[in-house]
Amino acid sequence: MRTALIIGQANAGKTLFLLNFARYLGVERAEMTVQAAEGGTFTRPCHLERDRPLLVGDEPHTTRCLQSLTVSLPGRKRARVVVLTDSTGLLDGIDEDRQVRLAVAQTLRALRLADAVLHVIDADRVGRQGRGAIAEVEVQIARYLPLRAPYAILANKMDLPAAPRGLLTIRRVFAGRTVLPISALERTGFREVRRFVARYV
Amino acid sequence: MQRVVVTRPPLDGRAPSQRPSQAPRPSLQPSSPDEVLRWIEDGRIAPPQAVAYLHQLEREPAPETSDDERQREREIEAALAELDALIGLHHVKRVIREIRAYVTVRERRARAGLINEPLTLHMVFTGNPGTGKTTVARILARLFRALGVLEKGHLVEVERADLVGEYIGHTAQKTRQVIHQALGGVLFIDEAYSLARGGEKDFGKEAIDTLVKQMEDHRQRLVVILAGYRQEMAWFLQVNPGLRSRFPIHLTFPDYTVDELVAIAHQLAGQRQYRLDPGAEQRLREILLALPPGYGERLGNARTVRNLIERAIRRQAVRLLDRPSAGREELMRLTAADFDPAPGPGEGWP
Repeated sequence: MRTALIIGQANAGKTLFLLNFARYLGVERAEMTVQAAEGGTFTRPCHLERDRPLLVGDEPHTTRCLQSLTVSLPGRKRARVVVLTDSTGLLDGIDEDRQVRLAVAQTLRALRLADAVLHVIDADRVGRQGRGAIAEVEVQIARYLPLRAPYAILANKMDLPAAPRGLLTIRRVFAGRTVLPISALERTGFREVRRFVARYV
Repeated sequence: MQRVVVTRPPLDGRAPSQRPSQAPRPSLQPSSPDEVLRWIEDGRIAPPQAVAYLHQLEREPAPETSDDERQREREIEAALAELDALIGLHHVKRVIREIRAYVTVRERRARAGLINEPLTLHMVFTGNPGTGKTTVARILARLFRALGVLEKGHLVEVERADLVGEYIGHTAQKTRQVIHQALGGVLFIDEAYSLARGGEKDFGKEAIDTLVKQMEDHRQRLVVILAGYRQEMAWFLQVNPGLRSRFPIHLTFPDYTVDELVAIAHQLAGQRQYRLDPGAEQRLREILLALPPGYGERLGNARTVRNLIERAIRRQAVRLLDRPSAGREELMRLTAADFDPAPGPGEGWP
């Protein structure tokens, strides 16, 4: 099975995107596979609507593991099965919490094995704070990754006022990369994401 | 073989004191992507630096790889990552990396038309119980499959009773059967020295002879690992010189230090999505320090820690049973009280 990894800074909206995108693809309840940063793996049943408050939060680093949902994309001949994996937020510094460091290393490890990467960026924050809101590690990844795997940037939170300005900045900083404006909350722009995933994964 | 001491940051869950801006750059260049990731975990480098290193390492001219090879590469990565996740065991990890490198380069040599020595990967593991021998054997089996040394990469774990029969002629048959099961994988013989314990007339001798014969016959399809306590294994190999020459790789598994045991506790808890609060860590440390001397030799090490964690998890469940309002954090947290042995009989050492 092919995997698409969702990465991005803390609070970019990765988990919400995972849940709502899976929902958009027609998944209502699913087995969620969780890989703890320390190495344990287990699966738990997950109801995409009902469990959202448990998985999504305003606090940074709500997600500290890899959590995967299996979805099927309707293809030309038959539906294709893709694993969407949500990861821990990336950060530039060395975090004090060993767990967060383990989780970040886990994300980078998963990055090397992913078949495609969806990079979520908070366009609203970039619009408000400018170029500085884009982490160095994100720029590095954008430089490094497209050599290895198909890569798209999802400019998220397009429903917020400063986002259009942020989108321009993102397009400038990541010139040459695919940038898809979306709103994970409002579920806009998902069609383009689906097309990207269907083409490359 | 002695322990290799590698400096590492404090294992108490906190990052080293330097902030990223002042953090000295590691003087060495990382040699593998895995090393880069380990440096992040240890808080030695920041993620942007790590990605730059990864980029650098990836840019090494990689020969064009087919899908098949990529899959293999991934399996190797996964096995090595699992190895790296083990706490301590630096020496073991280094030797396994050597083996991995040797197998790969050997293949390249073969492609270049160079002579290769026949590959013998039979091993002897010595160490006390709970020092990670079986875990490492299991990872090795996977690694060997990914490297193409073994077809199946499963682990068959046996002890004396599985090999030695009850009457004359039974032993050879039984041993052959076990080996047949293990073909394409790793045969792990725990407490192997007990095969020689009974002296000349013991059937164990026959098991050893059959094993040696079968190892020769299926040289390409089987890796045998003999495991046991250090002293007993030394004696065992001494009285069976034929075995010693056929098992070229010896790995010593030292007892874990208390710091390593605490790190293992954090890892085990984390795998189960629990976390130890500072009080719990302190209490665990006290319990481990208070264990009677020599305790680890016969009973313990990582297994003790696992039992302690599992007991603490049950204890925490009892504590939270009457508090349905406990939140996510609370459901994950193990406290010092969870580690205390309950009063009354029936709860001794784990």
